[in-house]
This record gives sequence, C-alpha cells and structure tokens, in this order.
Amino acid sequence: MSSKARPFRLPSPLLGLYGLLVAGLPLAGLAYALLGSVGLAGPLAAGFTGRYWQALGADSGLPYAALFSGWVALASLGISTGLALLLVLRAQPTLRRWPLPGLLYVPLLLPALVVGFYLFQFLSRAGWLARISFRLGLISRLEAFPELVQDGAGIGIILAHVLLTFPFLTLLFLAIYRESRLDDYRQLTLTLGANAGQFRRRVAVPVLLRRAAPTLLLSFIATLGAYDIPLLLGRPYPQMLSVYIATRLQRFDLRELPAAYLAGFLVAVGLLGLISVLLRLTRRVRVE
Amino acid sequence: MSELLTVAHLSKQFAAQPVLRDISFALNQGEVLAVLGRSGCGKTTLLKILAGLEAADAGTLHLQGQDLHPVPPNARQMVYLYQEPLLFPHLTVFENVAFGLRIRKVAKAEIDQQVSEMLDELDLRQHAQKAPNQLSGGQRQRVSFGRALIIRPRLLLLDEPFGNLDAQTRADMQQLFLRVSRQHQITSLFVTHDSREALTVGTRFGYLDQGALTSFASVAEFVQDARTAIGSELAFWESIQQTSRSSG
Repeated sequence: MSSKARPFRLPSPLLGLYGLLVAGLPLAGLAYALLGSVGLAGPLAAGFTGRYWQALGADSGLPYAALFSGWVALASLGISTGLALLLVLRAQPTLRRWPLPGLLYVPLLLPALVVGFYLFQFLSRAGWLARISFRLGLISRLEAFPELVQDGAGIGIILAHVLLTFPFLTLLFLAIYRESRLDDYRQLTLTLGANAGQFRRRVAVPVLLRRAAPTLLLSFIATLGAYDIPLLLGRPYPQMLSVYIATRLQRFDLRELPAAYLAGFLVAVGLLGLISVLLRLTRRVRVE
Repeated sequence: MSELLTVAHLSKQFAAQPVLRDISFALNQGEVLAVLGRSGCGKTTLLKILAGLEAADAGTLHLQGQDLHPVPPNARQMVYLYQEPLLFPHLTVFENVAFGLRIRKVAKAEIDQQVSEMLDELDLRQHAQKAPNQLSGGQRQRVSFGRALIIRPRLLLLDEPFGNLDAQTRADMQQLFLRVSRQHQITSLFVTHDSREALTVGTRFGYLDQGALTSFASVAEFVQDARTAIGSELAFWESIQQTSRSSG
C-alpha cells in the first residue's frame, strides 16, 4: 500500500474564523462607520440624515490631512528608497564590513513610538542637540534652534520614518541584488560597453525597484496611516489622517462622532482604492 | 590571416592555488578557438581575464597589437557570454538587443534599423515586444547573441553558452552560432566541456587541464589526445554499432 502524505487542510471552522478576522470584522467596521455617518448607527443615531456628508464640503480639515499624509509618506519613502539604493549600489563593500550589517537590523527592533520619543528628545528646542548647540555658542538662545519636530512641514515625522524604513529597504535591496545576480549583470554590461553609472541607471535601479515594488507600496500605505510617530512629532495642525480621525473620535462631544465616522470611512475606502490601483499597476509593470 | 589576439605567459592564482599556469596562444581574425575542459579547470578565469573582469598575476594580452592591460572592460569591445542568457528582465527583446547601441547613444533611426535586421537574422522578429520570461531557453540564448553581436565585438568570449539547453535546442544553437560567426567573421573563444560541441563550433582546438592549456595544430591531434576522451567515445559507439549488427 502506498503511504502518500495528504496535504494539510485547515479545518473549516478555523478557516471561517480567519476569514472573519481578516475580512469580516474590518468590513463590519466599515459598514458601521458608513451607517454612523448617515445617522443610522452610533450613540446619538436619530434616523437617516445627509447633513454630515453635506458638511464635508465646507470642512477643509480632512482633505488637508490627506494631502499632508500623502506628502509625508511620499517624502519618507522617497528619501528612504534613495538612501537605500545609494548604499546598495555605491557602498556595498562598506555594507558588508562589521558592524554595519548588524547595525542595519537595530532600527527594525525598535518600536515606532520609541524612535519618535528619541527623536523628540534629540531634536526638539529643549532637546539635546539644541542644548549642545547653545553650549557651543552656535545659537544665542534655545528658541533660535530650528524647528525640527512638531514643525509645519513634518520634518520630524519624515525623519523618524526614514530612520525606521531605510535600513529595512537597504536589507531588502541587498537581498534582491544577490538573488537577481546583479553582480553578473554588472560584469555583462561592462563587456557590452556600459560604464558603472549606466549599469546602475539602466539595469540595477529598474530591476531593484520592480522587484521591490509591492513592498514599497505597502511601506507607503503604512506610512500614510501611521499614528504614533505623527502623534508625538506632529503639530495639532496640519495633522496626519490617523491622528485627525482619532482626535475627532475621542472628543467629548458625541455629536462630533458621525463626522469622525465619515472621515474614517472615507479614509479606509480611499486607502483600499489606492492599494487596488497601485497593486494593479505594479502587477502590470511586472508582466511587461 | 591577421593575428588578432596574442596571449603570452598568463598566470593567475587564488589564495596560493594556481588557477592558470603560463598560458600562451594566438588567435587569428575569424577563428573560433574551442577550449575543452572539465569543471574547475580555469576556463571561466581565463575568459574573465581576457574580458578585463579579472586581473592576471603575470603575462601579457595584446589585441590587434594593443596592450590590453590598461584598457577597462567597457572599452575592450570583447563581450563575455555566460552559460545563462542573463537578459535584462525589465526590457523587451527589442530593447535587450538595442542595449549596447543605446548606451553608445546611437541615433534612434539607426538603432531601429540595426535591431530589426538583427532580429530578422536570428528569427526573433515576432518576439520583439515580448518580455524575456515569455521566451523559451533557445530563444533567450538567441537574444543574448543578438545583444552581443550588435555592438560588433572584436572578440566573443563564450562560457559554455549552451550548457543549460536540451540536446535538440543545443544542436540548433550550435548551427546558428556557426552560421552567424561565419557571416560576421567573428573571432571567438568558446569554452565547453562537451567534446562534440567543441568539434562542431571550433576552427581551432585547445584543452585546458588544471590551468595549463594545450593547443592542437589539427583536428586529428585533438581527437587523438586521450584527455579529450573523444577516442574512447568513438570506440564506445563503434562497439554499440557492432553489437546491434551482430544481434540483428
């Protein structure tokens, strides 16, 4: 008798529970937010109304938060990607030398809140850098130190995300570089007449970015929806989306809740739409 | 025939382990030197030194009388072809072939014409807009050839280029290589571990063993050398033939 190993199948109840957790509950939350935004759910629900949707046109807070979040996510990911590409393509021998390979893993172990707190301590006007600058006579008073955290442009938030993201992207690009045999491609392109810069621009960067596209996309979405770093290093205005929504949800005035539900619903739908469009784009690029 | 490549007393070692020992040979324009050798005999190191991708410990290289020592790999006009085609995965077949012309900033119309002619010659016209992962192994190797040939290399260095192909595709590719190299008068150094392939593509023959190269003056000498194992293979097929005749 043959003793063929049967493929392991997840029992149906477990599969159902998993489906409920990853799809059912978020969808239920989304539906609850939608119903709340039209006055059909929530503590003060008093029947269907469209006034919260109509009021949306007069409120610039949500679009401004969306724009600010987009800017922070784009800038963070752009700087992190550029830095990681620079390290992998221009400084690989250094990257392999002790202690850099180990150091690259350190930020991956730190919670975002810790990095935010550390940057606040380091870069705020009452922080270490400002005090050192004052002691060295580089600034005449602490207030003269430039606003690097809780600033209007989100420099502190961007810096924190870059610190967390670029080591991860460097390790990812290094792995792709090896797996895609880019060193062999480098030698081949040299014999075809290309110089090192042409290899980097025409071969290495496109190959690395295409292979890393889904991860870059996820990283962009994660930064767009980040909460703890913007909460610690951001200003009350402009706020990033998650902070904007959380602030409205936590207000004491329960009459504000439907507007917060509406903002949450729109952001969730917007992010889902963005993910599906970008995934379709990256898939098309990979097929081509 | 004019002498194209002259290699004299080339040596190389890695961590005190000799890989190439006092290698000398010359190659004339249009010749294909087929070098037979087993894995680890130093074939790849020899090709990489010629391409400028590795530095020799001793010896000289001259191409058309020019000392190659100070010439960087991208200025040698010597293309190194790997066992795998290594096509650029983000470019179409057309753009893969056009790569060498694009980096030389050749005019667009000229690129279109040259690449189209090359694709016609390699029977790849209908695949021009396909991605490399949509091609068969033989088609990929043809694109790799086209990408190398389009820059009109002074010397083609082939490192077991058909090693990963099935028997039939391999035979087709050998014929294609013969046709194209005769047509374009390409000078090549073709390393392989397959004696039949060496005999098919070569116009001159060598055997590389533990870093030492033996050059043969004729096909007969190459066939008779016991190290090439061609004699024993012939004897094997003759015995098979005799057995089949006697049993029939």
